[in-house]
Amino acid sequence: MPEKVIPLHMIPDKGSEILIINGKQYLQTNTAMFTFYKRSKGELSPYFLGLKEKKIYGAKCTNCGIIRVPPFMERCPDCEFAAMELMEMPDRGKLLHTPPITYFAHSLFQDMAPFGRGRVLLGESITALPILLYTTKGVLRPGIFKRDTPVKVIFRDERVGAPTDIFAVPMSELSEEQIGKNGLQESELDWTNPQEPQVKETAEGHKALDKALIGLSKLSDGVKTSARAQHDLAGWRRVIRVNTSGGSFGIMIEDGRLEISAGENYSPDFIIVCEDPGLFTEWVEYRESLTNAIISAKLWISKNSEFKTIFKLDRVPRSLKRT
Amino acid sequence: MARKVAIVGAGQTPCKGRWVEKTYWGLAQMAVAAAIKDAGISVKEVEGVIYGIYNDIFELSAIPEHALHGIIGMANKPGMRVTCGGATGAYAMLTAYTWVASGLYDIVMCLGVEKATDAFDFDSQTSTPEVIKTIAWSGDTFFEREIGWTASDSYAEVVLAYMDMYPGDLSDEVSAKISELLCQQAQNNPYAQRRGEIVTADMAMKSRYIVYPFKLLETCVYTEGAGAIIFAEEEKAKAICRNMATPPVWITGIGAANEHHVAGIQGNHKTMHRILSDHIAARAAYQMAGITNPLKEITVIELHDAYIKQLQITMAEMGFVPLGRADDLVKEGLMLPGGPILVNPSGGLTYAGHYVGGSNMMSCWSARRELITRGLDRALVHSTGSTIAQYACILILERG
Repeated sequence: MPEKVIPLHMIPDKGSEILIINGKQYLQTNTAMFTFYKRSKGELSPYFLGLKEKKIYGAKCTNCGIIRVPPFMERCPDCEFAAMELMEMPDRGKLLHTPPITYFAHSLFQDMAPFGRGRVLLGESITALPILLYTTKGVLRPGIFKRDTPVKVIFRDERVGAPTDIFAVPMSELSEEQIGKNGLQESELDWTNPQEPQVKETAEGHKALDKALIGLSKLSDGVKTSARAQHDLAGWRRVIRVNTSGGSFGIMIEDGRLEISAGENYSPDFIIVCEDPGLFTEWVEYRESLTNAIISAKLWISKNSEFKTIFKLDRVPRSLKRT
Repeated sequence: MARKVAIVGAGQTPCKGRWVEKTYWGLAQMAVAAAIKDAGISVKEVEGVIYGIYNDIFELSAIPEHALHGIIGMANKPGMRVTCGGATGAYAMLTAYTWVASGLYDIVMCLGVEKATDAFDFDSQTSTPEVIKTIAWSGDTFFEREIGWTASDSYAEVVLAYMDMYPGDLSDEVSAKISELLCQQAQNNPYAQRRGEIVTADMAMKSRYIVYPFKLLETCVYTEGAGAIIFAEEEKAKAICRNMATPPVWITGIGAANEHHVAGIQGNHKTMHRILSDHIAARAAYQMAGITNPLKEITVIELHDAYIKQLQITMAEMGFVPLGRADDLVKEGLMLPGGPILVNPSGGLTYAGHYVGGSNMMSCWSARRELITRGLDRALVHSTGSTIAQYACILILERG
């Protein structure tokens, strides 16, 4: 089946439900505000068509000579609307500033997080090209991209004439040959996934895990009596195996319930590796978040797309504090 | 010559994360009824209305105000909607002010209303990702939306560029302390969304990142609610206020500026480490109000704190601290209890709530309340909006 402009899994069934608040009934109905388009790229078309051909275009004012990338207008407003001419730009440049990293993405980008979105100055351009930023070395963390970080624009293998046809990686992650090659594609990069870290079990780790499991068990019990925490996990199902220096345990999310079990006799949806089980003692007390632990490399997850589950879990200790 | 204009009434709904019990129609009626009662006038005396409604998608209507006009008692009178992203509310109040100052009308109401969390992501079974997506239709839809633009990551760009320029400023400790302070102040706001919640600086420090460098407890909330402000020309303002034994609150300065939406290093393109929109708008408002030293001449500030670190930069851009020394707001005690300025006594958008089209009305309601109840002289109401803090609109209020 061809890909749809709206992912089918995002489209709800028709339906409605009654909510009761302070003894009164309120009706809410599943609906959507949608419009389909055949949207013209108009005067911007040469830029997007250029991406398909692995070229990046800018525009140069025929009066003042200023170059702007992307070529977002045909006339220069600073020169009484003098014409601007397209010109091909280099695919290497520097970041305008330290870019943000999105960990909690909106609903269309949930499976892409974490990702960086930066602005790169190419050649003599005075404006910066907005672009996705990736590292080939695992989870994107602060510090990899900074102001003036040299980057190279990489082209997707399959290009459709969209801003997502390109992204940038740090030049420090590329070979000299790759840096010098025009039109470098994503399949030419080394995307070797980081291997699952192996954790050695220790006596100290076992002791810390025993303590953490007591806290996790209390957390599980707390969810059973907290409507707010149940809401955090409503409609969600995941089995997670957690490997630590005290051994493994499981976290089961089952539509508003959270269960903890020792051992590793189950098939997980994804794996968490965390050398120090004490992190979970801090987490249940709302003194540490799993999200920040991943960002600071204290915790490893096998699937980046499961950040959305991590966010749901991170809500639970706070909800219990607020209950 | 512009006529003098005063605020003579203000009404506000409770700010809630979700108003299942009300549509935006019902919220609008609540706020208007409260504002009319506050001014002690009949709605029949109001000659026109300006609507602040930010996003069509939240209301499921391309002209959402059409359905409000009759139900708030304004049938057969002029009504106009203003939408300017996060700055919608302040720009709507600017418009209401001009309707009165120009002599076109004597009494004009400004109504801000917004739903948000009716939006729901059926995939994750939560509202927030869909709310963020709805707002994400507000960015550059040719070059940026498809690569994940959101309001948060665009403001984060500005904050990070500022931190590149001033690496010693905007420490996490100071941002967390401000978060704690705003939480405490929200407890005095009967309409605040996060009333009853305790957030310490330590909790804010350790809260999870949503978009680096923004943390959950240093970011504004999503809110549903409504607020209404009534503006009147001088003679009617005096009569209304005499009747209600309340001082008029005059609008003595207004400034606004929108920057370029494209970032660059020359010309009029956005300078990413600045929020020039705030700077230019503040300068214009000060000039109109005759303010030369804002730190000494303004005591109450209701600032659009979409993000705490942006609040700090905005305070610098408005001249309360030098650029690069925004941490002085806490380190020098400027905005701490006992300091010379009271910043976001409402709790701000982080703790009181952010119903986008009208949260500036909530800020205005709070600033007026502080001027009247504390007997203070002058307040500033600030708004910011659009991608990379592109828009700003600022009002100066003075107690009569």
